[in-house]
Amino acid sequence: MLGLAAIGAVICASVLIGVWGVRAARSTPDFLVASRSIVPGWNALAIAGEYVSAASVLGLAGLLVKNGVGAMWYAVGFTAGYVLVAALVAGPMRRSGAYTVPDFAEYRLGSPRLRRMCGLVVLVIMLLYLLPQFKAAGVVLELVSGIPYWIGVVGAGLVVSSTIAVGGMRSATYVQAFHYLVKLAFIAGPAVALFFLAGPERRDAALNPIAADPSWTRPLLDLDGSGHPMLATVSVLVATTLGAMGLPHVVMRFHTVAGARAARRVAVSVIVLLSLFYLFPVVYGLLGRVVTPNPAETDVVPVLVPSAIAPGTIGAVLTALVAAGAFAAFLSTSSGLLLALAGGLSHDLFGGSLSRLRLGVVVGTGLAVALALPAADVDINVLVGWAFAVAASTFCPLLTLGIWWRGLTSTGATVGLLIGAGSSTGAALASAVLDLEPGILSILLAQPALWTVPLAFASMAIASRPGAVPDWAGEAVLRLHVPGRHSTGDTDALPRARRGNRLDSDGGTD
Amino acid sequence: MNQRVRVTSPQTRLAQRRGADAMGRLSHLSGRPPVPSSAIDLDAAERALHRQRRLAVRTAAALLATLAALLTAAALTPGHLGWAVLFFAPYPLLLILAARHVRLAERIEDSHHEGGP
Repeated sequence: MLGLAAIGAVICASVLIGVWGVRAARSTPDFLVASRSIVPGWNALAIAGEYVSAASVLGLAGLLVKNGVGAMWYAVGFTAGYVLVAALVAGPMRRSGAYTVPDFAEYRLGSPRLRRMCGLVVLVIMLLYLLPQFKAAGVVLELVSGIPYWIGVVGAGLVVSSTIAVGGMRSATYVQAFHYLVKLAFIAGPAVALFFLAGPERRDAALNPIAADPSWTRPLLDLDGSGHPMLATVSVLVATTLGAMGLPHVVMRFHTVAGARAARRVAVSVIVLLSLFYLFPVVYGLLGRVVTPNPAETDVVPVLVPSAIAPGTIGAVLTALVAAGAFAAFLSTSSGLLLALAGGLSHDLFGGSLSRLRLGVVVGTGLAVALALPAADVDINVLVGWAFAVAASTFCPLLTLGIWWRGLTSTGATVGLLIGAGSSTGAALASAVLDLEPGILSILLAQPALWTVPLAFASMAIASRPGAVPDWAGEAVLRLHVPGRHSTGDTDALPRARRGNRLDSDGGTD
Repeated sequence: MNQRVRVTSPQTRLAQRRGADAMGRLSHLSGRPPVPSSAIDLDAAERALHRQRRLAVRTAAALLATLAALLTAAALTPGHLGWAVLFFAPYPLLLILAARHVRLAERIEDSHHEGGP
């Protein structure tokens, strides 16, 4: 019951901050300029808040207990992606003035058909990503309160869609920044406490895991004993690193930063915040290996560890905190994803109004809840891994080539997106449906990024015929790399006196 | 100094640029994308693109090398302390890579402002 109360408190606080955020935005006379001058710090917190999902809070520790310390490569890949975001995407994307990936596709390639296709790919990625979030909400609620899984999932859907209805898009930044802090405090605090409460014996056992099978302590990811741990690790690393670059809801966030320079710096700040956070799931994983070696449901390991180490009141309080942290992860990621999904539905596919946007949230929630109900047995990180693999095989090549190569044409991008999306979702589906012997083939289907990403890059490059490059394409690319007010970032019209607020201004105010 | 500016939300600006009609429907989505009409110095832009691209390729290659080194280190670490490699080593390295890239990219932008490399 304590756990349910803590979760309720997180939900109430989110709604309150959401309402306050809307007020703050409205009472500021110059909404845009004001928000742009405070943004970098908040924005990094919000990106990290949205990005640290149930996969990081719950899935990572669960996978660590189940598959071994190699699971830590997921966290490395999730973070390494932001090196590429800073290097390849953040600055130029901000200068393009595009709000979403489909917007960018339109800016760069000028094709409405491509825009709609990108909208569809956004839907696929967002649904694959949302599904495990709802699964996480369901299992956590079931564990802390005994509510059946399906009621938990449906209830979580209601909570998220109504929070979005109350808070709306404008307050999302504050709410998600708050959620990062909740997650950090509620996951890190109990982790440190448990580390000391565990006592010297269990602590030693956790820090020096002498497992019966050596493959658990080997820091490589082996999928179901396929016998090729290096191959599996590399493929997961490719998917997570390159996928982070192509996640639509992350790319969206860079639009609200002051300028290209600030966008790059935000990406670096995100690396700091993620590095800090990712230390703690490992603590739960290592302790969980000692105190709950064979959990019935791997994805709830962090919630099980406190009561296994400290029975009684302390354990109950720590369990409640961790459950609230996990629920904050669910809340922030799923509302960010739902906004991106609804935006994609209404804005890119149907060109609709605000009411359509609301409808999009409802439809998206409904789809995710319906898909999450039968998915109770699938590991969170497997599903999130697929979302990353699809993003890596579609938007990663589209953005990389679109930003840095003038030769990309809309035909090339279309062909590449079709092949990338088809091969990565096809492989994931095949690995879910077919019951393959563990081996090279099963790895390449379950973790397809290793071959689908090069395939998508190659098909985009090959299908872009040099003769078909329109005459304005060169300038569209060059503008992405010109600093200052002549680039396309649309804050150009700001009066000179105000430019002091912008990191991207002529003089470089930092 | 006191020039008046219309402040609109990002969505509105996007819609205006795209030419959405009063119902918010997209009316002219074909051919040329919405590139603003202000002129840029194409030669300077060309130089900026080349230098930024070279830097981006270098950073990507450095990331690849770092991850490869980490993988090797993880695979070769003996016994039960493999987790320590993945706990302590990756994040500072990733941070250094990203921070270095940002510094160099901003330097390129600064020299662009001063009128050439």
